[in-house]
Amino acid sequence: MTRLETHDDLKKFRDGVVAQRNSKATWLAVCAGTGCRAYGADKLAEALEEEVKKRGLENKIGVRWTGCHGFCEKGPLVVIQPSDICYQGVQIKDIPAILDKICTGKGDVEKLCYLDEGSGKRLEKLDEIPFYKFQKRIVLEHNVLIDASEISDYIAVGGYSALSKVLSGMKPEAVLNEVKKANLRGRGGGGFPAGRKWETTRNAPGEPKYVIVNADEGDPGAYMDRSILEGNPHAVLEGLIIGAYAIGASEGFIYVRQEYPLARNHAQKAIDQAREYGLLGEDILGSRFSFDVTIHRGAGAFVSGESSALMSAIEGHVGEPRPKYIRTSEKGLWNKPSCLNNVETWANVPHIITKGVEWFCGMGTKGSPGTKIFSLVGKVKNTGLVEVPMGMTLRDIVYKIGGGIPGGKKFKAVQTGGPSGGVIPESLMDLPVDFDELSNVGSMMGSGGLIVMDEHTCMVDTARYYTRFLANESCGKCVPCREGMRQMLNILNRIASGEGREEDLPLIEELAEFMEAASLCALGQSAPFPVASTLKYFREEYEEHIREKRCRAGVCQDLIAYEIDHAKCKACGLCQKACPTDAIDKSEDKVFTVVQEKCIKCGACFSACPDKFSAVIKVPAFTIKK
Amino acid sequence: MDANKSAPQLNVLVIDAGGSFVEECRKALEGEKCEIVVAGSCKEGLLSAETDQPGVVILDLETNDISEFKMLGNLGEIAPDSVPIVVSRNATVNVAVDSMKLGAFDFLVRPVNPKKLLESVRQALNYSAMQREGQSSEQRADKHDLLLEGLDVFGEAYSIGLEKREFLDELGRLESAAQSHAESLGQVKTKEEAIAEIHNDLLDADAIMWKYDFQKNALIQILLDVQEQFRWLPRHILNWISGRLNIPLSDIYVIANFYEAFSLEPRGRHSIQVCTGTACHVRGASELLMKISATLGIEAGQTDSSQEFTLETVNCIGCCALAPVVQIDSQYYRNPSKEQFEKIIKSLKDEEALV
Repeated sequence: MTRLETHDDLKKFRDGVVAQRNSKATWLAVCAGTGCRAYGADKLAEALEEEVKKRGLENKIGVRWTGCHGFCEKGPLVVIQPSDICYQGVQIKDIPAILDKICTGKGDVEKLCYLDEGSGKRLEKLDEIPFYKFQKRIVLEHNVLIDASEISDYIAVGGYSALSKVLSGMKPEAVLNEVKKANLRGRGGGGFPAGRKWETTRNAPGEPKYVIVNADEGDPGAYMDRSILEGNPHAVLEGLIIGAYAIGASEGFIYVRQEYPLARNHAQKAIDQAREYGLLGEDILGSRFSFDVTIHRGAGAFVSGESSALMSAIEGHVGEPRPKYIRTSEKGLWNKPSCLNNVETWANVPHIITKGVEWFCGMGTKGSPGTKIFSLVGKVKNTGLVEVPMGMTLRDIVYKIGGGIPGGKKFKAVQTGGPSGGVIPESLMDLPVDFDELSNVGSMMGSGGLIVMDEHTCMVDTARYYTRFLANESCGKCVPCREGMRQMLNILNRIASGEGREEDLPLIEELAEFMEAASLCALGQSAPFPVASTLKYFREEYEEHIREKRCRAGVCQDLIAYEIDHAKCKACGLCQKACPTDAIDKSEDKVFTVVQEKCIKCGACFSACPDKFSAVIKVPAFTIKK
Repeated sequence: MDANKSAPQLNVLVIDAGGSFVEECRKALEGEKCEIVVAGSCKEGLLSAETDQPGVVILDLETNDISEFKMLGNLGEIAPDSVPIVVSRNATVNVAVDSMKLGAFDFLVRPVNPKKLLESVRQALNYSAMQREGQSSEQRADKHDLLLEGLDVFGEAYSIGLEKREFLDELGRLESAAQSHAESLGQVKTKEEAIAEIHNDLLDADAIMWKYDFQKNALIQILLDVQEQFRWLPRHILNWISGRLNIPLSDIYVIANFYEAFSLEPRGRHSIQVCTGTACHVRGASELLMKISATLGIEAGQTDSSQEFTLETVNCIGCCALAPVVQIDSQYYRNPSKEQFEKIIKSLKDEEALV
């Protein structure tokens, strides 16, 4: 392949690729995201390719390994294009039926279509399935259409046209103004306007300037950045190049967590290909603008996602934050002006440039235009990645798109914003989701994790979970965070194990207030939020743990025990098989019993016992005789 | 350095079958207070060495045939205090290694740099004098051991401008490292094996550093590669990296301790990572962890005694929709039951048995 020297070259190349793509009547888009791969999607795609070849259909049917389609719950996913028919939970044995259906119109594929529980109907098309129907997919749109390891696929769907537009006559100031007017807010956490950040870096004295992609998606429960980088890395790269042009940077970095090997590979491939095609490197598209990017792997530290810590890590040091009297956008990497945005923010940029500010501001709310990707996970039927316009209510996201809570359980809360966020109870479910509304109720947008919790999730345990997480991840540099988290964790451990004291709750509140005010970086300042918000909305659960030594959700292990209801036990023996410590005994009357001394409370018996019997039950620990 | 002041006069025996080297030698040693004795063949050389007991024997490897190496081997018995220096036109690593194995003090490439030859001869004379005064010959043997094992790295070391002395220091440190390395792995039996292994490790570490142009700020990337390749960060490699990149060892340890990806203890051949992200947590990650831990008989953070499996928790591997998830090597599994898990473990063990 020769370099694309001019804007015309790019256009001609695109026309060629599009023609090539259209030469095949049908494409099978197999989701090859990490989620579907865990279900065996890679083997499925290989088998599909083989079967197509065996039947001599290579000229008519193409198989494409695409990025994450979002509906991870139902993987492996295969979408037939251009008809947009979606098959779910596809196994290798289903391949002949799918090919039959495409070729002859007959084939037993109904069971692969989405089953709408309400109507009992099978839904074929993507836009009929509720999970997709209520979404507005902008950033994720191309994930289904392209093979992330092929730059030509990205160019075919209009990729790099924004870059071409920018470099063929727009002044850097004009680009900056577009992003400012669009009021694109940083998708990684606080929602700081990206345009303003860009401007600060542009105007700050010092050369060279750097642009950085933050792909250190550390929030547990959020994985949209991973999916974008895996499924559409060129979009991020294009956004970054445009940003570099607007800011006047000549060097960029992508900081990827080492836990995301596939994302790293795809990003590296994208960089190599862009360089080969002349979209990265010297004299991009004949514009005299030069820019290059390096990937830096993170080595596993939550705090390294903080801007100053991340830059310190790129420099080869320990990823600890520094006090930010001067912002990193003015003095960041090697003390030079450095602009850091997260993956999703950069990926929005090409869309704003191509489709315009008006289009962008037509979506979302006034204060937070555009869309946001959420990872809808936890106790919800349709788990996966969803992209919706800002301002959609939590209820719509959880019930319309997510399909509600599985197993007829009762909804309890949604946790947003990861370890820096908080829980939102049922009473606030009609809240329109945007940056400001979430902050108002004591949570935050964060990177977009929405963890749904039902009646079997304990709020004390949730608070303890985040506190333990943050206590481990605190870098230890400032005292309020390091010691505060430790004490907080001690108190919560005490409560969860039934040793809680009446005065613990006011103590927690005092500690929380102090940490928020005195910690050095955002990690410590926001660390008390999970505790404070659970305490605010679910105080009675804390009190129950303290006063009655009872965990109503049946989660806190010191407060529960497992027993087998002899009246219900049918002696099937499944619980005994599942038990890793041989704590289940067959008693003389031919039913089973839990031997409490051996039991480690792992719950294996509880989940092994068939629902129709439900003989294994959780009981409060104090009811067990010692 | 100045051998001829303190030491009694010792001869230099030059064994030169080709006859072309003697002149080079004479020029180089011009003005030195030592007599040069010439032998035209190996046999002649051995006889002369036996009667003369020279300080230094310079052997020109003309043909690289067995007789020349044999002579080198015999020299140690016939004249234990004569220090051999080997020169050769045919300077392959193998020839050099073989020579060092047979006790050569130094190995020089022809045409020799006169300054180097002079320096080498002076050192050898000095050494020979020390031996004659009854200093421990054990020390010498050890040094040769190390030299020998490090010889391949020599070329590499020179090529990036590392001084010979620094390199020898480094090799000196190797030995103690070898001992602890052998202990920590619990597999390597002899010191020689351990040194050989370390020697290979250092070459591998060098290859990794080359990839990053020996850049200081690539330290984390280098350590990640080391971790990936070795499954832990052995002390001798960290030491080596510290010297090569000129970063204090303490700084490297700060980084190795700070980031979760690094391990300062050997990890098992297979890693089992239970995700404890929020989505996994609310769907029962701690129960899954307990189940797995009970099945394997190790706690999170531990490695089993056969160094097969390491059980760890990980903050979030971004597979939230499959929660609770366990990652075994590069494969993801959704909440495996005890039976499924045992099956996976068994298949990994079987695979290994095949290899």
